[in-house]
This record gives sequence, structure tokens and C-alpha cells, in this order.
Amino acid sequence: MSNPGDLAGLHALTGKRFWRALDDLIDQPGFRARIGAAFPALATGAGDWRRRDILKCLGGAIALAGLDGCERQPDEEAMPFVEQPEGAEPGIARFYATAVEMDGVAQPVIGKTREGRPIKLEGNGDHPASLGATNAFTQAALLDLYDPARSGAPLFQGQPTSWSRVDTALAELRSRLDGQAGAGFHLITGPVGSPTLRRQIASLLDRWPQARWHVHAPVGDPTVSNERLHLDRAHVTVSFDADLLGPGPHQIWHATQWGARRRAFQTGRGGAALFVAEPSPTMTGVTATRRLVASGTRMRALVEALATDLGVRAAPPIRLSSLERAWVGEAAAALRRNPGRGLVVAGPEQPRDVHELTRAIDRHLGNLSATRSHFAPPSGPRPQDMAALAAAIRRGEARSLFLLDINPFHSAPDLKPLLARLPLRIHAGLHVDESAATAHWHLPMPHLLESWSDGRAADGSALLVQPLVRPWLDVRSRHALLERLMGGERGDRAIVRETWPAILEDEAWTQALVSGTIPDSQPVAAAPQSARTQQAREDKAAEGLSLLVRPDPTIWDGRYASNPWLQELPKPLTKITWGNAVHISPALARERGLASGDMVRLSVGDRSVAGPVWIVPGQERRTLLVHLGHGRQRGGPVAQGTGFDAYPLVGAKGEVRIDRIDGREEVATTQHHFAMKGDEFIRFVDTLADALPPGPPRANFFSAQKSSPGWGMAIDLDLCIGCNACVVACVAENNIPMVGKEQVAKGREMHWLRVDRYYEGPPDDPRHAFQPVPCMHCEDAPCEMGCPVNAAVHSPDGLNLQVYNRCIGTRTCSAYCPYKVRRFNWFDLTAKDPPELRAARNPEVSVRGRGVMEKCTYCIQRISAARITAKKEDRPIRDGEVATACQAACPTQAIVFGDIFDGKSAVSRRKASGRDYDLLPETNTRPRTSYQARIRSGEEEA
Amino acid sequence: MTEDLKAADRVLRLPPRFPAPRAWWICFGFALSLLALFFISVGWLFGHGPGIWGNNIPVGWGFPIANYVWWLGIGHAGTLISAMLLLLGQDWRNSLNRFAEAMTLFAVSCAGLYPILHLGRPWLFYWMAPYFNTMNVWPQFKSPLTWDFFAVLTYLIVSVLFWYIGIIPDLAAARDRAAKMRWKIFFGLGALGWRGQATHWARWQQAYRLTAAIAVPLVVSVHSEISLLFAAGPVPGWVSTVFPPYFVLGAAFSGFAMVSMLTVWLRWMLDLHALVTPRHLDMLGCLLLSTGMMTAYGYAAEMFSAAYAGGKEAETLFDRFGGPYAWSYWGAIFFNFIPLQLLWWRRLRVTPIVLFLIGCSATAGMWMERYMLLVSSLYRDWLESSTGYFHATFWDWGLFLGTIGLFLTLFLLFVRFLPVISAFEVREEAADG
Repeated sequence: MSNPGDLAGLHALTGKRFWRALDDLIDQPGFRARIGAAFPALATGAGDWRRRDILKCLGGAIALAGLDGCERQPDEEAMPFVEQPEGAEPGIARFYATAVEMDGVAQPVIGKTREGRPIKLEGNGDHPASLGATNAFTQAALLDLYDPARSGAPLFQGQPTSWSRVDTALAELRSRLDGQAGAGFHLITGPVGSPTLRRQIASLLDRWPQARWHVHAPVGDPTVSNERLHLDRAHVTVSFDADLLGPGPHQIWHATQWGARRRAFQTGRGGAALFVAEPSPTMTGVTATRRLVASGTRMRALVEALATDLGVRAAPPIRLSSLERAWVGEAAAALRRNPGRGLVVAGPEQPRDVHELTRAIDRHLGNLSATRSHFAPPSGPRPQDMAALAAAIRRGEARSLFLLDINPFHSAPDLKPLLARLPLRIHAGLHVDESAATAHWHLPMPHLLESWSDGRAADGSALLVQPLVRPWLDVRSRHALLERLMGGERGDRAIVRETWPAILEDEAWTQALVSGTIPDSQPVAAAPQSARTQQAREDKAAEGLSLLVRPDPTIWDGRYASNPWLQELPKPLTKITWGNAVHISPALARERGLASGDMVRLSVGDRSVAGPVWIVPGQERRTLLVHLGHGRQRGGPVAQGTGFDAYPLVGAKGEVRIDRIDGREEVATTQHHFAMKGDEFIRFVDTLADALPPGPPRANFFSAQKSSPGWGMAIDLDLCIGCNACVVACVAENNIPMVGKEQVAKGREMHWLRVDRYYEGPPDDPRHAFQPVPCMHCEDAPCEMGCPVNAAVHSPDGLNLQVYNRCIGTRTCSAYCPYKVRRFNWFDLTAKDPPELRAARNPEVSVRGRGVMEKCTYCIQRISAARITAKKEDRPIRDGEVATACQAACPTQAIVFGDIFDGKSAVSRRKASGRDYDLLPETNTRPRTSYQARIRSGEEEA
Repeated sequence: MTEDLKAADRVLRLPPRFPAPRAWWICFGFALSLLALFFISVGWLFGHGPGIWGNNIPVGWGFPIANYVWWLGIGHAGTLISAMLLLLGQDWRNSLNRFAEAMTLFAVSCAGLYPILHLGRPWLFYWMAPYFNTMNVWPQFKSPLTWDFFAVLTYLIVSVLFWYIGIIPDLAAARDRAAKMRWKIFFGLGALGWRGQATHWARWQQAYRLTAAIAVPLVVSVHSEISLLFAAGPVPGWVSTVFPPYFVLGAAFSGFAMVSMLTVWLRWMLDLHALVTPRHLDMLGCLLLSTGMMTAYGYAAEMFSAAYAGGKEAETLFDRFGGPYAWSYWGAIFFNFIPLQLLWWRRLRVTPIVLFLIGCSATAGMWMERYMLLVSSLYRDWLESSTGYFHATFWDWGLFLGTIGLFLTLFLLFVRFLPVISAFEVREEAADG
């Protein structure tokens, strides 16, 4: 095609890659011109068309349209992963090591493709920063790739244009910058981890020394921290409002290590105590062995008191409440008992001196070199912050702006009017978002899963990013864009290869692609840098309210707002989906007479937002919390009308007020009741040595099923941190449809696996716990008894099966299920899926139609795959050969699956533990999924 | 000719010379508008799926199942009145049995629609039936739903037979009295060549009494079986051995309430004062009171067993007292049992309007009871986390009102075109007396 841009322009014009009739195409002047160039005989004008010519043109157009289908193929230069981790047959599924990125930190993954379509991401087991684990963001990245709302053509002032015109404009810009040494040019990026991108930015700044590079990190750390924490070596961790296990770019790194530490503790190899002081419950706080509810403004006092207790600091005595005193005392004693094996950290909202003090404590106890390590920051230019940009605009020095995959028009509302003054604004990104809508030029980018790139993982080592599929939209990668800006013409792969001279040899390069890691790319160790911090906060009066503004646990800073898997993912603590709320404490709710769902106006100084309140047990009395990322103006159809935008409150100063306003809003939550009220859904033991008391014997008419393999699952609640990685992994593996806010509010979410959250004790300071609940695969399943048509049946290997074809939808099985794990297709949820979403589906799992019941299958397709392989090789299925999607994703290895009649299997060893128990034993269903009780203590008994 | 005989004759002439065409047309217009709502609701349901209702997980069963149990319960009174009282030789039933049986038929038809409409894939409802098929799959015989399917089907067939056998002599009499040809043909086809010979009467007696003997135990078995839909499920508030008798009594109670309402209405509309005397109203009041009090005993027994069992059972019980669906529990108690107490006085029993209003109250109360049993048990069963609230939607109500329209339409057609009271039995009774 001589001029593909016109067709691309048409794409963007109609929003879809279809046209209704040829007239739509022919009416385009650009298309006429192209026809004229290709078939001069036809270009005589509209009136002269003869029937035969029209038919010829029609045939040609259809043939050309068919070519489009050839594009979804693996990049022939990408290198498949050699070892098949799922036991799948070669030629059926292919696995590629690559990565997805979050806040500049690459998350190593293995992408599974079928017929050239990426269908699932798993953690890269060979990479130390994953060890096979993933988190919710990483799992959901797959859907971002297939987002039907992605931008497919460049825009100039909102109108579709062609890349050739973009190139012309970039050439003009280049010649102007060459003349002025780059004066007035400002490049804005998010945190940059990719070495290639850094190299390109460095060469850009070399060429145009007057140009400026700014990093905009609305919620994260702008400089990509050079500190690594080693929770696996920390027998005692003390966190001052640092949500180590919570969502974020380092979640997998921290959670895998915490899991390793806790498992070591369970087998008698050292302690795994976690002391957390925090104002609002986080996943770290819920996991903690000792949690203290304390306002964010108390953290400095607590750290100082700890430092005083440990003799780090001779200071005047600090006034602490008795609860605080006891917590600090216990934390100090535990740290003292574990010199060189402790870790004290403060949260990102704490000022620099608090961080320095935690380091001083670690240094004093000899922890510093053991549980933290540092690497030299990447060489090259240092970015400036956004304040410098604002100053440059005010001085009138800034002229042109290049926004590279960043959306400050949503995440920096203060800067909006300033940025809008600039005469040239270029935006590159995956979506026509708020920034793209106001930019002069919008340049569409490919998703990382369809690009060549590289990145640095959480452990600091570098890895290569290779495409799982060729881009099917008319896009250019970040590397190609910068290359074009500087006049180069090379492709992405060549640009990336240039960064890595050490693996220039084809063999080494291939090897790096296969494994996903770049050998010897660990950064050089270095002395600790000054801490990553934010502005020191003024300590407010004790009675005033304090506000925490944090990234959303599922859609982060708003960048995942167009991802339905993450929008519908229940937030770990509140189980809210599709929106956000003002989190308040039970005490404040009582005081103000507020109930969850009441609308309030939340003001800080002269800024305010309105949203529903949500009561969060365990939140500090005077603390309010809101999540960012919602309320997108141009977030695409998925993000439309979800939540409120809290960005105006970022950096606002003044008194925090909360005032009730008229109305209520229905907050779509998947769990309404959180209190355990004396039930033993989640069980605890005090210490490692304790076992649960044996339950009463239960009479049963049926003899237990005992044929090997008998599949079963063990979920260790002592390891579960409630991170939701399993939930999204299950969605991706099993083609689970998303239903939207209204249907979630009606109680019709489709997740096969849910993570229940409970608390017990007083609402102001309860004990929290998480509990993942998949199907229990009961041996005596009430659902099977209830089904009139034999759609719910049992397999010889112990699976409780649901035969979709046979189901007529009486819903008896769900009514009888004590665990309520069954999900019903109330509507036809999948028929209207656009072709992009259909392409993302796992072909090994049926897509369910209307009126059919569905539920967790223990990933039966994976069991079948393993059985077929084992049969071919004439051997039994090996332990660990079948990993369910949830198990594979779990960063703490809380979920174990296997043959419960094989005494040596991991799952039967887990089930033999004294902490093993069944959920709802009184229903006498003999569930195959069992739980291991949480251990209250975190230290070995003396 | 005695008064009774004259009245009986009049009944046979009702269809050709209908006394209250205006009232009938008003009622029929109202019924047809509700029937239109029925068709719209069903059309919308087939177009979109069961998601148009308020059902969710955990409350997967909502209005359709509650309405199903309610309608079927109403149906049972007709069978009880005509078959059981026939076998017991209670002749006073003759003034009531025909339309009570018709009510049974139409109520069972309404009931029978619900389990089909309720399905996720209603077009496959026949998979519940044990039929030979190439897939070689059978229904799952342990499921209470399978037995429910058999029970309701049997009940429907037996009810149709019993009603039809009963009406044959009257159809013949109406045929003989009809003046116009089209009425003669209409009744003549239905009368199956009945000529009133002694052998006809002997065969008829045998058939009628045998069918009655089959029908009476069916009342007990069908509603016991329906109670197993609930009692077989391990759901607190459902799994209780008191359910079968409790359901049968409740069904009879709601049915008698409906019969009372229909009696008062027909008596007024068709001026049947000579046939439906204060004695009949009195008897109906007694039946209503006695089954009502037995149902109240069922409530007490259920409450006791739940409280005695403790644990989740008791939690559900107390949640019914004070939880979000307490209105349905207290509503059921109030509407079922409080106005009922007026029936202890004979004077109130024979006052038609009082009987009618108490019938209304008990019908509403029994509907609330079905709703309460379903929703308050399912919305919060074992795990706190799976608590979920049920809110009925427009389409829930639409379908419910629609089936009321279906019932009324069928019943009004019956009133218009067939003898509403068993004339020959009234004559026989009068002749004997």
C-alpha cells in the first residue's frame, strides 16, 4: 500500500476497523486518490463507474481486507521460551519471555500465545524478581493489549492524519531544535526504567543541551528507587505505614520474599514477625503479626520512640499512648532479639528525616547490609521534576512539549492551564486520553507486549522485552518515536540491541531472549542514597482530620481505568468495584451519623471533591483516605462514570473538612458483611507449635472417595496477603466475563475465585484476615444432589464438574451451595464482545452462554493437558505438574494443588499440618479445598 | 319443583343467558390487561434472560419460585373441597366443588409455568423429563426438582381428569337445555355422548370416586414434594423435617382463602344466593379457620425447632424477626393469623364481605410467607461474606401480576361458558333431601 495512512485515518474516523458499505470508503477523498494511483482506469470520476469496474473494485477490496487477517502473527525475530512450563504441546501454545512495566519497574513474565494470540501471562520462574509469581496488574496487562478503545491512528488537532505527516512535523521540529540547541523543548515521561529509553533520552539531551527532561510520577517514585529491601532475610520487619505487600511496582518482589520468609518460619527456620503501624488498613497491616492503628502524623513520634528504645538516639522522652508504648516496646524487643535480621521501614508519605532515622536504627542493629541493598543509580542525565517545568512555562521559556506515555492532564490538574499555553504539544500514548485530547499531535503507541524494549526489574537486573504479537494497529513504539524525532530510521529491535553490546553476538542475544534476562546486568552495588520522600507534612492538630490520598489498589493512578478486569476487581480491603469512596473510620461515622454510601463533600483548604463515604473498620479515628485514578474525563467507555477524581486534592493545603451533602450513591461492592461474629471461617493458632483442636467425628452415609489422582487444594491463610493476583489470573485463564458496576451492585459478579475479607473484634481496631474462596469441590456436594438434569456431576479424580451443555439453569446448585461459589449467566454476557476481546480468550476454556451456571473447575484444562502428556509418556502425573492459574500467580505460594492421595505431594503434606481445617465442617460436605489456619505469632518460641 | 331444583336449572342456563354481562366484561377487560402484561413480561424475559429480575447470587431463587409455591398451594383447596369431601359424603360441597376444581386447574397451570420461565434456558425444560434420547442421559433422580416435575405433572393430569369427569353430566344437561345450535354443539362435544343411562351413571360413579381417591393423596404428596425443594438443601431456614406437613397445611389454607374469595364474588355476580347459602359460607369460614390455625401451629413448630437447633438455624430465625426482610415475616404473621381470628364468630363467618376480606388477607399473608422462606434464608446462609440482598424489579412484579391475569382470564372464561356449579349433584342432593 502506497499510503497506508489514509486507511488508518479512516480507522480512527469510524472508531472501528469496519466500514458499513463501500460508499463509506469511496466518499473519502484520500481513498479516491489512492484508487486513482493504483487503478488509473477507475479514476475517471464517480459518474463514470461501470458495473464491471465496481465489481472489480469490490473484489479487490475484499481481497485486501482479507490480508488484514494475516497480521496477527508472532514476530519472527522473537524467540520462544524453550522449556514448556505448562506441559503443553509444542506447536499448540508458544511461550515467550518478556515483561510488562509499571512505574518504570519491569515485571518479568512469560507470555503464552495460541495461534499467534497472546492469551495468558505467567511470572517468569527463572527471574529472581518474579520466581513465577505475578500480581493483579501484571495479569491484567493482557487485557490492555486487546483494549478495543486503544488509539489506532495519529491525530492532528483531533483529526486523523498519517504518519508521513507526523514525520514531516517531527522533521520541522528537529530542524528548529537543531538551530536553538533544543531550547524550549520539554520531554515528559513517567519514571524511566528502560535502559534503552534512558540511552535515547541521554543522546537527545546530548544533541539538544537546552532541552529539558521531566519525570511526572503522580503516585510513585520519580527516580525509580535504587534501594532493594530483602524481606526474606528480615526475621523482624517494622513498618511505619509502608505498604510493602500492597499494590505497586515492587509488590511481587516484596510478596515473594515475604512468602519465602513466612514459609521458612513455618518450618522452624527463624522468625517472620511483621510490626505495622498505619492509619488505614493495608494488605501489609492485615498480614502483620502485630498491627497498631496510628495516625500518619504519629509516625515520627513512633519512629523516634523506637529509636530511643533501641538506644539509637538519646532524646527527650516522647509522649505515647499506652497502646503505642506497648507496640513500640514489643517491636524494639523483637528487633533487639534479631540483630542483623531486622528491617525498619517508613512509608513514602513520611518525610526524609523519618526515613533517615529508620536507616539509623537499621545501621545501629547491623541490619543495613543484610536486609537492604542499594545499587548505583543509572548513569546519564537526571530528570527534573514537574515544578521545574511549571517554572519554565511561567518564565515563557518553554515552547514545545513531548508527553511520552504520560497523562498529566488527568493526574496534574494544577498544571493543566500552564501546559495548555504551550504552542506545540505532542502526546504519545495508547489511548486518546485527557492529554491526547488537548494536544496538537497524538501519536498512538503499541502496548509493551507488542514492542521491542527492555527494562529493569525490581531486583535491579535488566531484561529484554520482546513482542508476543505484531501490532495490529498503526502504531509506533516509544523507542521508534524518539528515534524519528532525532532523525533516525531504525526499527525498535535494532535500537534495543544497540543498548546491549555485551550480547551483540546472535547466540548471546538469542539466549537472552529465550530466558528473558540479560546476563550480568545486575547494577553495581552502591552506598545508600538519600531516601525517596515527599514533601514533609505539617503535623496537624490532634483533633483535626488528616487526609491520605493514595493510588487506587486496582486501577493505580488511573492508567488502568480502561481495564475492566481491574475495574471489576474488588479492592482488597473494601471489596468496592468500579469506583472509589471516601474511607472513614467507624468512630467518625458514628460521630457524624454517616452510613456507607452517604454522599459527602471532602474539602482541603479551598479544594473539594464529592463522593460517597465508606466505613473502614480498623482505620484511625481522624483519618480519611481517598483513592486516585477514578473520575476520568476521557478514560474511554470502560472508565465512563466510575468514581470521582481525587487529583485536585493532591498537594492541597489547609484544613480537611468532611460535610454531608444530599443523596446517596450505590457503591458496588462484592461483600456487604465483614464481621465474623464468632464464626470460625478463618481460624487462628497462637504459635507455630499449636494445632487446631480436632473437630467432632461426623457421620456420613457415603464412603470417602479414594482413587489416585484425587485432586485437592490447600490454601494457607497464614501466607495469603489478599493481593488479588489469583483472582485476575483466574479471570484471564477461564474467560470470565466482566459484568459492570450495575450488575456487581446487584450481586452478579462472575469471579470464580473471590477473596473474602473478615474482621473480628472491635471495629475500631479489629483483627483482619483474608480468605480466598474457590469451589471447594466437595466430595458430597449438595449441588450435585440438587441438579435435576445431571449437569453438576463428580469425576473419578474428585472434581466437582459443571457440564455447561447440560445445564438448564435451575440455579438449585447455587441455592444449595453453602459456599456460594457458583456463578450464573443472568444475561448473554459474551455475545456482544468485540473481536479484540474474543481474541484474548483462552481457546481451551468454553465461553459460557446465557442461562448457564459456572464455577471454578480447578483449571481442568490444565489437568487435562498434564494428563495427556503423562499418558503419552506412559507415567503418572508428577506432583507439581498441574498448577492452577491462581496457584501459579500467587506470590507467596499460599495456594498448593495436587493429588491428595499421594502422600508425598506438596498438597497432602500441607493437609497433614495441624493447622489444616475445612470451611463449614458442619455442612459435612467433605471439601477438597482446605485451609491452613493463620499463626498469630511471628517469632520462634524461645 | 323445589327451590333448589329451580336454582340448579338456572345454573345450566347460565352460559346461554348470562345474567351479568356488564360486570363480566369489566372483570374480563381487567383480566385481559393483566394478561397482556404477562405476555410482555414473558417476551422480555425470553429476549433478555433471567437477569431482568432481581435474582442474584446468593438469592438465585426469587419471585418465580415463591409464586410457584403460592399458586400451587392455592390449587390444592379445590381438590380438597371436591375430592375429599366427596369421599367423606359431605353433600354441601356440591355448591362449591365445580368452580373450586376449575380454580385448581387454572392455579396449577399458572404454577406450572413458573418453573419453566424461571430456568436459565427455558427452551430445554423437557430435559427434566425421563425420555429416551440418543445421548443416553436421564434426569438426576436424587434431585427434588426431578420429583417436583413428576409431582406437578401428575397433579395437573389428575386434576384435569377429575374436573372433566365431574362436569360431563352437567354438560349433557346443558346440551339438552340449550336453544341455539352452536351451544348444542359446544356442550354436545364436551358431553361425550352422555345420555343419562343407568350404566352411564354407574360407570361415572366408579370413575369419579376412583379419581377422587387418587387426587386426595396427591394433594399431600405434591406439596410435601415441593417442600423438599427447600428442605433438601443445606440452607439454614430450609433444612427442616417439619416442612412437608407445614407446607401442605399452608397450601390448604391459602387455597381455602382463595375459594372463599371466589365464592363470595361469584355469589354476588351471578346471584347464586339460593345455591350458595350462609351455611356454605359458614363451612368455608370453619375450614379457613381450622387450616389457618394448623398453619399457625406449623409456624410455632418451625420456630421451636429452629431455636432448639441453635447455630445458623437460630440465627436465620432471629434474622427473620429483625433482619432486613422482617417485614415479610411479620407481614405473614399478621395477614395470615390476625384477621383470621374474627372467624371464631359465626355471624362474621356468614357475612360475605368479611369472609372475602379475610380471604384476601390470608392470600397476601401466604404469599409473604413464601417470599420470606425463600429470600430470608438465601440472602444470608452460611458465610457472612456471601450475604447479598434481593430487590424485586418491575419485571418480577410484572410476571406475577401477569399470571394473576392469566388465572382470572381462564376463570372468567370458565364462568362464562361452563356451568359453574355442579347442577346434577345439587339436584341429586335436593332429591335425596
